[in-house]
Amino acid sequence: MIEFKDVHKWFGELHVLKGIHLKVDPAEVLVVCGPSGSGKSTLIRCINRLEPIQKGELIVDTMKVHDSKTNMTKLRAEIGFVFQQFNLYPHMTALQNVTLAPMKVRKLPKKEAEDQGRYVLEKVGLGDKLHQFPAQLSGGQQQRVAIARGLCMRPKIMLFDEPTSALDPEMINEVLEVMRNLAREGMTMIVVTHEMGFAREVSHRVAFMDFGELLEIAPPAEFFSHPKSERTKLFLSKILTH
Amino acid sequence: MWGYYIEQLIHSLPFFLQGLWMTIAVSGLSLIMGTVIGFIWGIIRASRSRIAKAVIGAWVDIIRGTPFLVQIFIIFFIMPEFGIQLEAFPAAVIALTNLASCFICEIVSAGIQAVPWGQKEAATSTGLNWFQQLRYVIMPQSMRVVLPPLVGQYVLLIKDSSVVSAIGVSDVTRVGWLTVQRIPQGLLVFGLVAILYFVICYPLIQLSSILEKRMSAGYTRGKE
Repeated sequence: MIEFKDVHKWFGELHVLKGIHLKVDPAEVLVVCGPSGSGKSTLIRCINRLEPIQKGELIVDTMKVHDSKTNMTKLRAEIGFVFQQFNLYPHMTALQNVTLAPMKVRKLPKKEAEDQGRYVLEKVGLGDKLHQFPAQLSGGQQQRVAIARGLCMRPKIMLFDEPTSALDPEMINEVLEVMRNLAREGMTMIVVTHEMGFAREVSHRVAFMDFGELLEIAPPAEFFSHPKSERTKLFLSKILTH
Repeated sequence: MWGYYIEQLIHSLPFFLQGLWMTIAVSGLSLIMGTVIGFIWGIIRASRSRIAKAVIGAWVDIIRGTPFLVQIFIIFFIMPEFGIQLEAFPAAVIALTNLASCFICEIVSAGIQAVPWGQKEAATSTGLNWFQQLRYVIMPQSMRVVLPPLVGQYVLLIKDSSVVSAIGVSDVTRVGWLTVQRIPQGLLVFGLVAILYFVICYPLIQLSSILEKRMSAGYTRGKE
């Protein structure tokens, strides 16, 4: 579904992805963790070319992301992206937020887009917030609208960039619950997160990144009980103790 | 004495109204065209295309850094030497349109840049193209920042339009100059001129401050 072949990325002089090899299967849930600045956000931002890569090959569902001739609209329509800061459109209601792209990109008629929007918002537990503006919603609710916005495009892949890091602790679970349900339904997901409980319980594999390298990737049971690299051990000891 | 002059002035009122009409025509046309061009320039200036950005930026700086009177002289008196001969009215409209475009360009590009980058990324990642992002996501948000100073700029430009009297456009300022030669009461004549400008500008000043209040109220419409 997603394949990185020796992917390199530079920000000016800074080498942020150093030869990433990674293959994600359909319906797989991959959690990516690592210290801040390790390149994990950049890794998933490359997948829908929010960041272009400079070297290597990146293939998503037979589309070549590294090729500038690839139809990016088509690629992005297949990939939902959830940001740490939600990035909802503040001048639109929840329903308008989730129907804009389906109407403009998928060319769905308004009625259909709204029916679908209502259905998906209902599914993430916001059936009563359709006509609220983002400023009237809590952080957890906003992030669920943001997930719904991605889902309304009927994507094949959902990417999450630290979706719970900007949330108050009591709101984290409502967002993770939505993500758990998605995983159960067989969505292909890459989740950058520090929620190790989520990784253990939901993911098929956990990857550890540091200094732009993918140091370790393994099923959660193995990843948490027998981490191979020293840096993974150090990282886990830091985040699992608190 | 004053009574006599006032009577004279009342007799020339139609003349003043013609001047007012000319002021409205010159500034109205320039503001409409300047708004269209200014938005296009502003959008380009806030975009990523380096060359277009630099060209527009340099032009805006030149126009903002030179007196309007000099600009209008160049268009009206100096361009003919290069074979571009213009009547006073089109010369005035072109000069004022250009001035309006430059100021509006700055307001619009600042407004676009005030929209958080994450909005653009969110729109990009759902597959919206450049124009759709601008139309549905960026511009509606930047209008909150753009509208109050835009209307304020209109007021400044309407007042700047008085400069076109210098090349013989019979706007309300020029009517004042002509009248004061017959009615040697500067205070009275230019008092009337000032009032006529004020009558157009005051509603816009009010509009600008209403917009400012409303736009800063936050995205809370519909809140109980």
